Amino acid sequence: MKNTTSRLRNGAAAIAAVAALMLSGCALNEGTPENEAAGDGESLTMRIGTTTDVANFNPLQSLSKTDNWILNAMYPHLLRIDENAEKVPELASGYEYEDDGRTVIFTLRDDFVWSDGEPVTSADVVYSAEATMEHQLGNVAAKLTWVESIEAPDDHTVIFRLSEPYAPFAEGVGFWMSIAPEHIFAEEDVTTFANDSDWVGAGAYILESADAGQSYTMRANENYPYAPEGGAAVETVEYVVYPDVNTMILALQNGDIDLMASPTPASALSGLESDPNIGIETVASLGFAHLTYNVTDELLAEQEVRQALSMVVDTEAIIATVLQGHGQEMVGPISPVFAEFDNPELERYPFDPEAARDLLEDSGYTDSDGDGFFDDLTFEMVCDQSNANLTRVAEVIRDDAAEAGIQLELACIERNTFLARTREGDYQIDLSQWGVFDNPMDQLRSTYLSSNPGGINYNLVEDPELDELVNVAATTVDHDQFVERIQAIDAYVHDQALLTPLYVEDFHFAYRSDRFTGFQPSPSDLLGMVTGYSLSQVTAAQ
Amino acid sequence: MTSYAAKKVLRAVLTIWIAVTITFFLLRLLPADPTLLVVEGDMTPEMQDALRERYGLDKPLHVQYGLYLSQLVTGNLGVSFRQLAPVTEILLERLPWTLLLAGSAFVLTVLAGIPLGVYAAVGRGKKIDKVVQFLGTTSNAIFVPSLAILLLVVFAANLDLFPIGGAIDRSTRGLAAYGSLFHHLALPLLSLMLVQIGPYALTLRTNMLEVLGEDYIKSAKSRGLPPRRIVWRHALRNAILPALTLMGLQLGTLVGGAVLTETIFAYPGVGRLIFESVQQLDYPVLQGAFVLLAVTVVVANLITDMVAMFLNPRIRT
Repeated sequence: MKNTTSRLRNGAAAIAAVAALMLSGCALNEGTPENEAAGDGESLTMRIGTTTDVANFNPLQSLSKTDNWILNAMYPHLLRIDENAEKVPELASGYEYEDDGRTVIFTLRDDFVWSDGEPVTSADVVYSAEATMEHQLGNVAAKLTWVESIEAPDDHTVIFRLSEPYAPFAEGVGFWMSIAPEHIFAEEDVTTFANDSDWVGAGAYILESADAGQSYTMRANENYPYAPEGGAAVETVEYVVYPDVNTMILALQNGDIDLMASPTPASALSGLESDPNIGIETVASLGFAHLTYNVTDELLAEQEVRQALSMVVDTEAIIATVLQGHGQEMVGPISPVFAEFDNPELERYPFDPEAARDLLEDSGYTDSDGDGFFDDLTFEMVCDQSNANLTRVAEVIRDDAAEAGIQLELACIERNTFLARTREGDYQIDLSQWGVFDNPMDQLRSTYLSSNPGGINYNLVEDPELDELVNVAATTVDHDQFVERIQAIDAYVHDQALLTPLYVEDFHFAYRSDRFTGFQPSPSDLLGMVTGYSLSQVTAAQ
Repeated sequence: MTSYAAKKVLRAVLTIWIAVTITFFLLRLLPADPTLLVVEGDMTPEMQDALRERYGLDKPLHVQYGLYLSQLVTGNLGVSFRQLAPVTEILLERLPWTLLLAGSAFVLTVLAGIPLGVYAAVGRGKKIDKVVQFLGTTSNAIFVPSLAILLLVVFAANLDLFPIGGAIDRSTRGLAAYGSLFHHLALPLLSLMLVQIGPYALTLRTNMLEVLGEDYIKSAKSRGLPPRRIVWRHALRNAILPALTLMGLQLGTLVGGAVLTETIFAYPGVGRLIFESVQQLDYPVLQGAFVLLAVTVVVANLITDMVAMFLNPRIRT
C-alpha cells in the first residue's frame, strides 16, 4: 500500500513537472519572426549554409570573411567585383582621375536609398572613409593610406585628394569600403558600436533578425537599383550556421539548405556532382600557392639556386594529383585571373631536375661526399600543417628536389606557429598560399617593396631596381602604360625567380539546382556566390 | 563538519583562481597574435597597433593580468575582441542550450547507467552482464565526432528521422516548438550519452559486486528480506558513492564532448562558441568560457563532495 501511494505521488510530481515546463515554455520561440515557407511560388526563400556566426555587425569594424557574406549584401560599396574579377559600378556610377592621379572623383547614383527612407549620399561615403581613417578600422584603412582630404561638393560627388598618385586607389577603396549610413553611425562611437539590431542598409538584402548560433534572416530591399524588373525573385535569404562542413554538405543533400556559402572540399566534390539535384559553380581563387625564397639566406640570395629550385617543381603533376585537376598553372607572380596583366611572353621554368643539377654544377656547387646531394644545399621549407594540399605538395617537391641534389627538410607546422615564423622571417623557403589579392598592384607593392607596407614581403627582398619598378607603376594613371609596367615587374620577378608559383586553386560552390538558377559568382571564396548582386539575380529553377 | 565544508569551499575558490590564471597565461603564450588573425590582406603597422591598443594587448602581461583579475572579481568578463558585445552577454545567450544538452545528457546517463551497472552486477556472468561490459568498454573508446557524424548520416540524412543541425525550428509555436526542440536535441543527446554511459555502468557494476559480497548483505539475505529491496536499498546506497565522485569528474569530459558534439550538430551552445573563439583567438570569450566551465566543474565536485559527506558519515572526519 505504501509503495502504491509513493508511486502515485511520484507519478503526479512528474506530470506536474512536465506541465509546468510546457506552460512556462509558451515563451519558447516567441519574439522571433515566423519564417515563411520556402518555395510557395510568390515569395521565395533561399537558405544558405555558413560556417560561423556573425561576429561583428558593424561593417566598418568587421574583419571576417563570413561576416562579410552577410554585411556585403546589406551595405553598398562604390564598386563591386564581377565574374571576371573586374571592378564595376555599384553605388558609384563611375570615377575619374584628375591632376595626374592626385585627385579621384567618384560620381554616385541617385537611386540608392537607406531602408529607413533616407537617401544614400556623398555624406555617407565621406563619413565612412573618415571614420575608417581616424580609427584605422578594418583592412580598408590601408586602402586609404594616400588620402589627404575628402570633399563632397554635392550629394552625388565625392572627391579624394591624395598625397601621391596610386593607380588602383579607386578600385581598392571602391571595392573594399562598406558605406554605412552616416545619420545612424555618426550618433554612436564607431569603435564600440555593435550595430546588432534594427539594421538600416541600402544593399540588395537587409538583415531582419539574428538568432546567434542558429540563423540570420535577410529580406530583399525593394529599392535596390540592380534588382531585376519587379524586384528580386528571392525575397528572403536565411543564413543557417553549420560549423562542420560535413554537416553542411548533408544539409544541402537533404534539402535543408539551398546553397553552401563556403567552398566544397575537393573530397566531397564527386559525391555532390553525381547528385542530380545539385549544381556546382566553379570560380578561380584570387590568391595562389607559391614557394617564396628568403633572400637574406646566403645561398637563396643566389639567383641560380632559386632558378634551380624552380626547375624541380612539377606544377602540372601537382595540379593533376594534389588538386585533382581543379586548378590553373601560373608562370610569373601575376595570377591568370587578371588576364590583362599576366605577361604572355613569360615562359615557365621547365620541370627538369637534371637541368637543375647541371645549372648548379655550372655555378660551382659540388657533391664532395658523393651522397647525391650538393654540399650545403639543404633548406628548410616551412608550411602550414592545416592546409592538406600544401603538406602533400611539400612531399612531392622534396622528392623531386632530391633528384636535383637539393635536400629539402619539411617543417609543416601548426598554423599559428607557422604564421609567427613567417612574420619573423624565420624560414628559408616558405610554402604557402595567398588568400586574396584583388588587384596586381596591391600584391606587387605588398610583397616586393622593401619598405614593406603590408608586412608580407616574405622574400625579405631589398632590391632598389624592383622598388623603382613598383613605385613607378604605382603612380602610373594611364591605363595602357600601367598594364605595361605591371607586366615588366611580372617579367623581372620571374627572371629573378623570387618565387615559384604553384597553382591558382579552383573553388567549387554547391547549390540546389533543382530549386534555383541564375547565380553570378565572383572569383574566390571572398564572396563567391553570395554577393547581394548575385543573390538578387537568382530565380526559381523550372 | 563545518570546517570540512569550509575547507572544501576554500579549495574550490583556489582551484578556480588557478584555472583562471593558467587560462590567462596559456592563451598569451600561444605563438600567435590575435591582431594578425583578424585581417585578410593588407595590414599596416598602424592598424596593428590600433588593434593591439583596443584589445589592451599593448600593456605588459602582469598589468593585463591584474586588470583582468580586478574585472573578474566584480563579475565583469570583459568585451569580446571580435564581437563588440560583453562576454557575459555572449555566454548567457549560449548557456541555456548547453545546459539543456549537457544537463539532460548528464541526468539521462546517470539514470540509465546506474540500473545497467546494478543489473550487470546482480546477473554477473549472464548475458546482461556481458552486454553491459561490452557496451561499457566500447563507449569509453568511442571518439565523439565519429559517432556524431555516423548518427547524422544514418538517422538524419539516410532515414530522415531527425533534422540535420540546429536547435529549434524558429517558425514553430507552443507545443510544436517543444516538439521541435526535442527533435533537434535527440541526436546530440544520444551521442553524448553513448560516450558517457560506459564509465557509470562499469563503476557501478564493480562496486555492486564488492558490496554484494559484504557481511551485512549476507545477513540481510539470511533474514529473508526481498532480494529487490536488498539490492536497491541496501547495496546500492553504499555502492553509489564512487559513482557520485565520478559524476563530478565526468562533468569535465561532458563539457569537452559538448565542444565537438555542438560543433558537428550545429548546436548553438557554449561548446561551439569555444570552438569558434579558438579559431579567432578571441581571448576574452575564451577566458570567460573557461571561467564558466571551471566554476561549473568545481561547483559540481563541491556538491558531490557534500552529498557524499551526508551519505557517508565516515568522510566527515
